Amino acid sequence: MRYGFYIGTCLFLIIIQTTLLAYFNVFAGMYDLLIPFVIFISICLPLRESLPFILILGLIMDNLSGSPFGLYLTFYFWLFVGVRWILKFLRVSNKFFLSLVVVAAVLIQNLLIIGTFGFVGPGWQLPAAALKNIIVQFFWALTTGPLFLFCLLAISKRFNVQLNGAAP
Amino acid sequence: MVLIVGGIVLIAVNVILLSITSKSQSTFGLGRVGISFVAPFQEIVTRSVRFTRGIWQNYFFLVSAAHENETLKKSLNQFVEKDNEWHEIGLANSRLRNLLNFQKAPTHRVVAAEVISKDPSGWFKTVIIDKGRSDGLQKGLPVVLPTGIAGQVIEVSGLYAKVMLIIDRNSAVDALVQRSRARGIIKGASADQCRFEFVLRKHDVQIGDTVIASGLDGVYPKGLRIGRVSDLSERSSDIFYEITVTPFVDYEKLEEVLVILHPKTQAFASQQ
Repeated sequence: MRYGFYIGTCLFLIIIQTTLLAYFNVFAGMYDLLIPFVIFISICLPLRESLPFILILGLIMDNLSGSPFGLYLTFYFWLFVGVRWILKFLRVSNKFFLSLVVVAAVLIQNLLIIGTFGFVGPGWQLPAAALKNIIVQFFWALTTGPLFLFCLLAISKRFNVQLNGAAP
Repeated sequence: MVLIVGGIVLIAVNVILLSITSKSQSTFGLGRVGISFVAPFQEIVTRSVRFTRGIWQNYFFLVSAAHENETLKKSLNQFVEKDNEWHEIGLANSRLRNLLNFQKAPTHRVVAAEVISKDPSGWFKTVIIDKGRSDGLQKGLPVVLPTGIAGQVIEVSGLYAKVMLIIDRNSAVDALVQRSRARGIIKGASADQCRFEFVLRKHDVQIGDTVIASGLDGVYPKGLRIGRVSDLSERSSDIFYEITVTPFVDYEKLEEVLVILHPKTQAFASQQ
């Protein structure tokens, strides 16, 4: 049941991102909606359950995107490692910190993508709309990313309470 | 200590693999798994959204449709005249070709497909279509629209395929300026425009010129329209123009596309 919730949420986000958002111009510069989800998974699930989930998620996103194969896999994996490492020092209840992690993750993902452009060869050019892309994504992440993550955490908490009588 | 060394090795392996896949576009055979798993859901959602939008457009915009109908009827009359004229030209063309003993111009078999999803990242320009290997699609086939070139198939699963649009930064099309036959490479710029590279300054290129496929890349048939020259500049130190081309296809509103099946493949398939 719990896994059904995680898989369902993940599928829902992928479909929203690749189909529905394309019909609304206002969401043209939306960031990767799976970033808050990966952070959420890293926080809520134990290592042996979350790692395969993250890897499969990265693989699926690599399949759906025209990005170099392994880009999403790489990013989600290191985001997962980073979040779990940071959680050793900070508490999940620190909302400001979690918001910062979401925004930083969005920016790092954009930098990683730009970094892969450099692998192609010496004649590479930064896309003309690169800066605009990053700024738009940054503002979307700033305004909706933390909200999104807190919603996922709250839903999961309620779900676990109903299911097991205990919070994650 | 072991953890740090392990981490460094992992990062190094990761960077090497990413650099390989960036250059070769290789997916190590894993490229179809995710598409096969997610695409059916994407298809359901896309069809539902289009169905709802269709109802809205069909039933609530009948008034504007009536006006549009009038305008289209007028246009149709003009096109009927033009069609007749082209028919005559076509007949004259085939007579002249026969006289010169030319081969018949190849007609392409096409498969119509619907776009069911777009790239999750704004940095890359790919779409997934609802036709796959079972419909005769394979990697490298050109994807077009009546208005111009859309892109090429880069990944195929049983029922779905991934198409890289020509505005993607990894895309390249060998092209010609229709009027002056100046040759160059159309490269995607990850925006709604393309760069037309390696066009020598000794050739005549002007803003507004139509750019077509040259057919020399072995992917796109010769003569397919790509776009119009929208910006042109010359740097004194460079031997090439800096040209921006605005594609004829509106990639934001891409819904249906045509995949051209190679004539060679058809011949092979029919022999089997």
